[in-house]
Amino acid sequence: MKRVFHSSVARLGLLALVAVVVLSGCGGGAATTTNPVTTPPTSGPTYTGPAPANADIQAFRINFWENVRGTNRCGNCHTAGGQMPNFARSDDVNMAYQQAVTVVNRENPSQSIIVAKVGGGHNCWLADAGACASIMTRWIQDWVGAAGTGGRQIELVEPTPKDPGSTRRLPATAPSAYFTDGSSRSVYTLVTTYCSDCHRSTAATKQSPFFAAADVQESYQNAMPKMNLDDPLNSRFVIRLGRESHNCWSDCTANAAEMQAAIQMLADSITPTQVDPNLITSKALTLFDGTVASGGNRYENNLIALYEFKSGQGTTAFDTSGVDPAADLTLSGDVTWVGGWGINIRSGKAQASTTASRKFQQMMTATGEYSIEAWVVPGNVTQEDARIISYSGSTSARNFTMGQTLYNYDFFNRSSVTGSNGTPQLSTADADERLQASLQHVVMTYDPVNGRRIYVNGEFTGDLDGAGGGTLGDWDNSFAFVLGNEVSNNRQWQGVIRLVAIHNRALTLQQIQQNFQAGVGEKFFMLFGVSHLINVPKAYVMFEASQYDSAGYLFTNPKFISLDASAMPGSIPLKGMRIGVNGAEPQVGQAYRLMDTVIADANYSAATGQTLSTVGTIIGLEQGPASDEFYLCFDVLGTRSNVCSTYAQAVPPTFVNVPRPSDIGFRTFDKINATMAAVTGVSPNTAGVKTTFTNIRQSLPAVDSIEAFLSSHQTAIAQLAIQYCDALVESGQAQAYFPGLQLNSAPSAVFNTNAGKDLLIDPLINNMIGSNVGSQPSAAELKNTYTPSNQATDGPTRPGLYALIDTLSACGGGACPAGRTKLIAKATCGAVLGSGAVLID
Amino acid sequence: MSNMNSTHRAARGNARRSVLVKVTALALAIATFASVPHDASADALSRRQAKRMYDRLTGTPPTPALLNDLETRVAQDKVSAALYMMDASDPRSSAFYSTTLKNFATPWTNRDRTVFAPLNDYTATVIGMVKDDLDFRGILSDDIVYIGQGITPAYSTTNNDHYVAMENNNADLRVVLQRTTQSSLNGLPPNATAGIITSRAAAEAFFIDGTNRAMFRFTLLNHLCHDMEQVHDTTRPPDRIRQDVTRSPGGDSSLFLNNCIGCHSGMDPMAQAFAYYDFDETQGRLVYTAGQVQPKYLINSDNFKPGYITTDDHWENRWRLSGKNTVLDWAGQDGTIRSGNGAKTLGEELAASGAFAQCQAEKVFRTVCFRSPSDQADRDQVTASANGFKSGGDLKRVFAETAAYCAGN
Repeated sequence: MKRVFHSSVARLGLLALVAVVVLSGCGGGAATTTNPVTTPPTSGPTYTGPAPANADIQAFRINFWENVRGTNRCGNCHTAGGQMPNFARSDDVNMAYQQAVTVVNRENPSQSIIVAKVGGGHNCWLADAGACASIMTRWIQDWVGAAGTGGRQIELVEPTPKDPGSTRRLPATAPSAYFTDGSSRSVYTLVTTYCSDCHRSTAATKQSPFFAAADVQESYQNAMPKMNLDDPLNSRFVIRLGRESHNCWSDCTANAAEMQAAIQMLADSITPTQVDPNLITSKALTLFDGTVASGGNRYENNLIALYEFKSGQGTTAFDTSGVDPAADLTLSGDVTWVGGWGINIRSGKAQASTTASRKFQQMMTATGEYSIEAWVVPGNVTQEDARIISYSGSTSARNFTMGQTLYNYDFFNRSSVTGSNGTPQLSTADADERLQASLQHVVMTYDPVNGRRIYVNGEFTGDLDGAGGGTLGDWDNSFAFVLGNEVSNNRQWQGVIRLVAIHNRALTLQQIQQNFQAGVGEKFFMLFGVSHLINVPKAYVMFEASQYDSAGYLFTNPKFISLDASAMPGSIPLKGMRIGVNGAEPQVGQAYRLMDTVIADANYSAATGQTLSTVGTIIGLEQGPASDEFYLCFDVLGTRSNVCSTYAQAVPPTFVNVPRPSDIGFRTFDKINATMAAVTGVSPNTAGVKTTFTNIRQSLPAVDSIEAFLSSHQTAIAQLAIQYCDALVESGQAQAYFPGLQLNSAPSAVFNTNAGKDLLIDPLINNMIGSNVGSQPSAAELKNTYTPSNQATDGPTRPGLYALIDTLSACGGGACPAGRTKLIAKATCGAVLGSGAVLID
Repeated sequence: MSNMNSTHRAARGNARRSVLVKVTALALAIATFASVPHDASADALSRRQAKRMYDRLTGTPPTPALLNDLETRVAQDKVSAALYMMDASDPRSSAFYSTTLKNFATPWTNRDRTVFAPLNDYTATVIGMVKDDLDFRGILSDDIVYIGQGITPAYSTTNNDHYVAMENNNADLRVVLQRTTQSSLNGLPPNATAGIITSRAAAEAFFIDGTNRAMFRFTLLNHLCHDMEQVHDTTRPPDRIRQDVTRSPGGDSSLFLNNCIGCHSGMDPMAQAFAYYDFDETQGRLVYTAGQVQPKYLINSDNFKPGYITTDDHWENRWRLSGKNTVLDWAGQDGTIRSGNGAKTLGEELAASGAFAQCQAEKVFRTVCFRSPSDQADRDQVTASANGFKSGGDLKRVFAETAAYCAGN
């Protein structure tokens, strides 16, 4: 039933199986009211027994035995003469070793019996059993040397064949069976009655998720991941009450049974979703049915604190480094857990006590160097002077800080060559835009030789520390270690933190790249059985899958593989592969929908299978990783073909009729210039005109809508109009333009009659406005004063051009100065040229 | 003495200007209000229509003599009269090319979509193709560019001075613009030229920095009249979305699944056509690296490692698959993907679509009618012009038909 990949599998890029506790992903642990033990193990008596018989027992003693034999851990029971296996006996380390090897899996430490035991809640010394399991795994790893490279193997475990479909999908809005009592009390009734003291946003001791919210829909949304409709007994609600005895309201077994009945009642009200039996589908499985592949080969030899955020609940993020004292973080403010491990900080922080934080000062100053390592997802690239990870006392005093300013990471470090606030900080270069609002691996190292260095996604940023190296002797041990904010709460950072590791050595580039390659979060190999579709035994399409965040799964690197080493595929066409979830194919994220390939002997090897695609895709989360059931659907596989699903057809857009806007518009800037040039005959290259147009070009109308016309436009138009008219009247073309008009005579001689005025006006009207065009005002209308019949609607009386010339010719009753006629000509020209009759189009 | 004289002259000049300004201000105050009811019975309808058509097409009023000529022609056939107004062999049409078409195309050539941007090779090519009655569907794919004959400085691949000089001197674009090939000027292989996409102005605006997606988005916006929001479709397969697009913005993949994917799933496979292009800011010129993907296509690869890695300039049009974007009316649409290599074939794919024809007709309608199509009659007119455009790509005729439609009654 098992297929073992040996070390050569490393070439596949498959990640080794270490440090993963499947059970921890399901949570678990004792009542949340218990405070975690943060003190070092209470040692047994000073060891005076026989010396370790060999190097492995010596490693066992240092890395495992000394950690577990304390009376506040396993050493309280599993002692000499106590409960078997007595691996924590303090009288003889060699005998303890003999017992320990019976409960430890040296190949896969996370699969050890002892890890499963504490992960199941057996006398975990912390509030979260998952954290105990992680720490226990780490001790075993340190003992057996699992932190080294190579030699480990991945076992692909065949999943139990299961047909897709027949799953019950919770609808988007709460069904009545969720909140209406029937044969039993409803889930809503139970949670709001018994859980609202904590699991409600308004509770005094509020604790997410808020499934006990008074609002039915809010309650339902939060309760969805906790209910397994296809197997109510395995619902998180039921497990928490029954197996984990978490705040039962009377008898835990009875309470769990009532909750199970309530979920069953809800399940019964929902019709299972069926998959069309004609479709070509693989066998189905959930994420957790896959083979765990996470934890990779991280380099953690000098770890002093580690936060993996596996708990997924509560208000404590455990330090699972196994290095005492544990600097556990208390979450406060708007900080929520993220699926696939992590915390989302919106407005709040996660802070350790100053006492527990002291280990950073002690252990880092001892070595004089350190590394801050984190997997983060900055919420945006607009936040400035925000603290991601900090060990500080206020905004003006710190030992170290990892921060964000826009696209840059900032690194503050207090040393003998920097200030008490760690300044000047080292920042990544602006132009590089290293910080992106996506999952990034960031490592900041400090050592006395190189000073500070920043690595993003396994790459040294190249930013050099101008301050250089120094010593850490001035570090203050009264500061607190904090994530997401300053300890004084006024340097908020927003984003997701998925892992934080603190090392008291400066990691090398190679070690950093090793940790970057190891990735973060819980990964699985999912084997979708297809033997029933093709004539190949134990044939699977294998995906690497993980919960990407709270809203989606990552599926990547699909391979075809048979777990029968002697099997060969022959030639199998494969087209149009889709990922189904809970009996239906999501419309979004089907990256393999256009796949068209052939699984062939030439491309297949028994050890590595055949890679179908190197790209990955995100599939939306529906009910949570424990419940969402996946399968594959194929358009063509082998000799079978049936199109899984088709795209929706286009719907032609519907047009809405709107009233036609104004039929007329205004000439825009270039058109005004061209128009003025055309109707005056003046070249736009004339110096004065050209200069004026260049200056006012962008002050003229830019759009032709008459409703967008502004008084400022008219001002600019006036300037340009008068320039054109000035150029016209002063040019040699003036006499030809105004035949018979004596421009050099006095106004009293030229404009003393309307006929005289017409010598000026008529050419302007003919050339600029046009004659006998019904859409334009007539010459008579322009010349004479216009008195509207209805002044309320049509405006006041408007003097015509005759009146204009008369006014301009008056010269205060005396004789007009020389050149006045030209001035009047220019002004009248400007009045016509700049008028709406010319410029409205 | 000479200083004193010049001072006096200056003073007198200032005084004259002051008087002139005052007088003009008074005159304009009168003229601004000088809008009076029009007597529509005094003329023939065709005279009014002739004036409006010429006004709308050239941006300038006709001379009295030309108006008389146009009146007769309009009375006979408005479309023919409009073509007569735009006849590139006669100076009467100059303003159509130097003003109307220039302002028509200028907003397409820059990211701000400003009409005040200087004349450039993009704009000149649009003007030239209409002037020479070329198939306008080649605007996104032909090996073509228009330069100014006799204009100093000469065309340069590294600056826009040639076109700025043309505009500053109010050169008659109808006369000076001459057709040539891009490949003979900028050194691109002929099959790497793609009309205005590979013009210097477009490169400076849309190939500069970034990831070259801007070229696709703005081409779509300017020539298919659709912005990304309108073609947003989350159902396209995301396998060609590049690594630089984070699948969990700020830690929330639902944002990706509901928003980002909708544009990138269609855009990234098509923008891959520009994989060998870049704009070199230092040299100020378009760069083409045949067979070598520009580094900008591979930046921020850690944002999503399992994302698509661009290896060549092979593009695919996934909007041809059954779905909402088939309304773009792809040529020979049969529900299967079309693909090709490079900008030229992508330009052909885009320009052959019904949306391209419809877009040209709509843009012309807005330019000539001063409004967007408002009712069924307007839309029918746009569709009729677009259908005509589909065979032959005659944009000048679209102008003529639209001017005739909006001649007014």
